[in-house]
Amino acid sequence: MAFIECRQLTRSYKKGNTPITPLEDLDLDIEEGTFTALMGPSGSGKTTLLNLIAGIDTPTSGSLMVAGIDLAKLSRSQLAHWRADTIGYIFQLYNLIPVLTAYENIELPLLLHSLSAKERYMKVAAALELVGLADRHDHFPNQLSGGQEQRVAIARAIVSDPKIIVADEPTGDLDRVAAAEILSLLRMINREVGRTLVMVTHDPKSTEYAQRTLHLDKGKLLEREPVADHPSALRS
Amino acid sequence: MSAIRYLPLVVKYVLRYRGRSVLTIGGVATAMFLFYAVQAMHHGVQEATEATSKDTKLVVYRQDRYCPFSSNLPQDYEGRIASIGGVKSVLPIKIAVNNCRTGLDVVTFRGIPLGAVDNGALDHVRFAEGSIQNWKQRSDAALIGGRLAAKRGLKVGDRVDLGGITVYVAGIINSPEPQDQSVAYSHLDFTQRASGNKPGLVTQFNVAVDDPARMDYVAKAIDVEFRNAQEPTSTWSEKAFVARAAADIVEIVGFARWLGWGCVIGVFALVFNAIVLSVQDRIRDHAVMQTVGFPQRLVAELIIGESLILSLTGGLLGLAAALGLTLWGNLSLSVEGLSIHVQTDAASILVGLVLSVFTGVLAGLVPAWHASQREISACFRAV
Repeated sequence: MAFIECRQLTRSYKKGNTPITPLEDLDLDIEEGTFTALMGPSGSGKTTLLNLIAGIDTPTSGSLMVAGIDLAKLSRSQLAHWRADTIGYIFQLYNLIPVLTAYENIELPLLLHSLSAKERYMKVAAALELVGLADRHDHFPNQLSGGQEQRVAIARAIVSDPKIIVADEPTGDLDRVAAAEILSLLRMINREVGRTLVMVTHDPKSTEYAQRTLHLDKGKLLEREPVADHPSALRS
Repeated sequence: MSAIRYLPLVVKYVLRYRGRSVLTIGGVATAMFLFYAVQAMHHGVQEATEATSKDTKLVVYRQDRYCPFSSNLPQDYEGRIASIGGVKSVLPIKIAVNNCRTGLDVVTFRGIPLGAVDNGALDHVRFAEGSIQNWKQRSDAALIGGRLAAKRGLKVGDRVDLGGITVYVAGIINSPEPQDQSVAYSHLDFTQRASGNKPGLVTQFNVAVDDPARMDYVAKAIDVEFRNAQEPTSTWSEKAFVARAAADIVEIVGFARWLGWGCVIGVFALVFNAIVLSVQDRIRDHAVMQTVGFPQRLVAELIIGESLILSLTGGLLGLAAALGLTLWGNLSLSVEGLSIHVQTDAASILVGLVLSVFTGVLAGLVPAWHASQREISACFRAV
């Protein structure tokens, strides 16, 4: 069984009276420890798929097994606990809490775990060190650049050592240099820390950092590229 | 409540949304101050007017007179009253006030005979300063109630003009009797002269009854005794007498209590509004919290915790202001020479704090429920 396994996965909802089906009968396997990029035009279902994998949305039908757990069978409360243990989420617009410092934002997921203040401090310090922002721990989000904010968001996503990191267009709001730094950081987390990474992107250049790129259109998977066939993966 | 573990997070939200928090807490503090102030007045009225089964004091006043200026009774009624069955002691008193109206700064002199003091008329008072010997030695001496002394900054040895009467402060007294707190006890003949009356006239007689159950009987007997006299009497229990004299105040304070409860509703509306607005502002923050694994219940508890802190902090500040005013302001409402002390009692403090907690939790419930029930992905789509 694959680490992430989707079978006939469908998600639909209503916007007003109009039914919308961003994802329809999707079959997909993602192996543990891989870096997968999801591409596709707006409305193709990329973010919906990412949210389903992250457990912040639930499928309308079909099955979704992540790390051996059938997410459709979990209650909202169970899903919350599962997310705390399993998922690190990186948003396009960083979504740092504005009244908390970089340190406090990163510490947020750790509050859910039975850790002492000292243990939390050690973990946050290590995450800040990893993203290269050890000297910015007491800065508030509005005192950081976009790239730095995204680094803090990455630190928040990895600090509780989740099995899967999902990133929704993590470089969509950054300039090219900052985007390259963030993508390198994500690749390093995938390769050196060994975390499974699923990233939504619009930018073909970003896919060069991934081992595998999947294309979605109108809620369906269009093609798959094996790791070894991806030229940029070899280059990097 | 698991939110206690997350208290530092809630406190950061309160402290770092400073403008919102200061305005909300300020509003709550003002409203709760008014609530406590009204409760303090109500407590004073209750203490002064509510009859109990242990009451043994009667006040004999001139019939159909309602002001110390116009109630004049011959001092020699004292012996006739004392001879009525059930009467334990009689104390003729000359009341002198600087005005007969209701006010916060009315000074009341109670002139009592020297002999009555020897017979234990002031045995119930405790001396904070000075002594009864000081008082006996000078005809212009006065024993000043603790509240009046604190309000005027008086100490033993001062010569002071109180409402047009100059006296020597012979002692500062504390007493369990509400009416003793803001009065000056002076010599009867001195007070009679100072208030421009002829000697031999007093304002009232305070009568102690030997059995609380015989209060009505003795009151009737006194009025019957003087029914055909030139100056007929009207006898009341002391608390009924205060209630009659202060009827207007009692009515106003009764109405003001509604305003106090209105303040509590205002607190609820204020905190509810602040929390609703902040929850709307923080849809994304709450969605982020749920994304990283905060359960819905915990998000709701954080919101309720914030609402509780705002409400309780405001309530405590309002209480501090009310306590400060009533303790250091030594406020008392005087009417017709009687005093009603404005003081915050323990029961009002407890009720106010419970209300602060209750309104805080209640105001947070609905926004917390809404925030926790939103779908996370819908929240991100909405902002």
